[in-house]
Amino acid sequence: MALVNGMRGLSRVPSYVVMQPTTLCNLDCAYCYLPLRSADRRMSVAVARAVAADGNEWARHGRFSVVWHAGEPTAAGREHLAALMAPFSAGVEQHIQTNATLIDDAWCEFFAARRLRVSVSVDGPPDCNDDRVDRAGRAAYPRIERGIAALRRHGLPFAALCVVADPRPGLAARLYDYFLDLGCDTLGINVEEREGVNGRDNRHDAAAVRAFWAELAAAWRARPRLHLRELEWSLRYLDAVLSGTADDLLPRQLDPIPTVGWDGAVVLLSPELAGFTDAGYGDFSSGNVLDRGLSELLAQPTGTRWVGEFVQGVEACRASCPYFGFCGGGHAANRYFEHGRFDGTETEHCRNSKIHLLEGVLDHVRSTRPGGSPDPRRA
Amino acid sequence: MSDPLDLVVAQIRDVRDELVPLLEEARAARLARSEEPGADSGAVCAWNHFENIPTFFNWNNRPR
Ligand code: SF4
Repeated sequence: MALVNGMRGLSRVPSYVVMQPTTLCNLDCAYCYLPLRSADRRMSVAVARAVAADGNEWARHGRFSVVWHAGEPTAAGREHLAALMAPFSAGVEQHIQTNATLIDDAWCEFFAARRLRVSVSVDGPPDCNDDRVDRAGRAAYPRIERGIAALRRHGLPFAALCVVADPRPGLAARLYDYFLDLGCDTLGINVEEREGVNGRDNRHDAAAVRAFWAELAAAWRARPRLHLRELEWSLRYLDAVLSGTADDLLPRQLDPIPTVGWDGAVVLLSPELAGFTDAGYGDFSSGNVLDRGLSELLAQPTGTRWVGEFVQGVEACRASCPYFGFCGGGHAANRYFEHGRFDGTETEHCRNSKIHLLEGVLDHVRSTRPGGSPDPRRA
Repeated sequence: MSDPLDLVVAQIRDVRDELVPLLEEARAARLARSEEPGADSGAVCAWNHFENIPTFFNWNNRPR
């Protein structure tokens, strides 16, 4: 078969930029990857202006977004966040990924007035949020719940991101029911990853992870009211394979997705690498927007050594992995934090979140066969 | 089909009959969701652009 197309090198234009308004987070979740989350280092308006100089131009030609993230953006306060948002034109979509604990009526008014799209981080019903605590070790869930209640009171649509520490059958249907009740319109499921300062083991029993995804597929199918990211992508890939269009599915080039840190330093591809240093790779940054424009930094992405190595890793995936057309070659941070380098292929993360996902969805499909015949390879 | 790179595609084709109804349900569900009032202002976030772009950029390298 011809090798799958797409994901060849990095695009010069990102579809979104992750911006870190502050390094601070008011929580201290056990699985968090952010190294500076207890310090309040704030982005200057000059950094936001420098990003907006390119971002406003990109938005004139296509869809372009800013995601306020990487630290708890609401911890920066409304006044400061407003000042950072101001340089961006109305054509730039603005998003916030938040733990929701600080959201109150005033924040909801702020979101509505600025058309800021909200995505909350919540891991399911209260007992699934045991890893989410503040620095005093107090459970964050009651505050998360209050924040989400405020969003609902104000009629603000929101998405949710859920970290699953231990994917297993029995949990998926419960999670899906929870998020249906919660009232989000979009849901993303992230199996916990070993990255950043989170060194927890992310190896799981393959059959359990597969069964988790199969159960989630069945739960979604019974009531497909949510846009469930993992299912949507799986089904679109499966659809494309059946209709012979799978080769058009992956982006032609990798999205560089710059993360702009509080100080203006730019890290490509993986926000999880921002703020980190390695003896061999340095600080992973490709430069600083206060010295050179973002579009200039994106013109020579593989000039940053690890980025070139990552592109080689994607090519190694293309040449060796039958899931490449679905996956697109995995994430830089997972490679680094699992392998210590960027040019490898399979990771625990890609097994949990790509391979077992697709296999789990196929298991669900097979279970609907008359007699529910199982996967022949497992027989 | 003996190329190991084709194994996944082969097993997908193998379940075509069961897959087609699921894909139709998914299409109908997408339509139902976009018909909901206020769907234009939905929270589909930057890491999930793909209702609006054909390239699925945000599946890969999304922030978490
Ligand atoms: S599933 Fe893993 S090995 Fe396969 S393409 Fe993705 S990252 Fe590479």
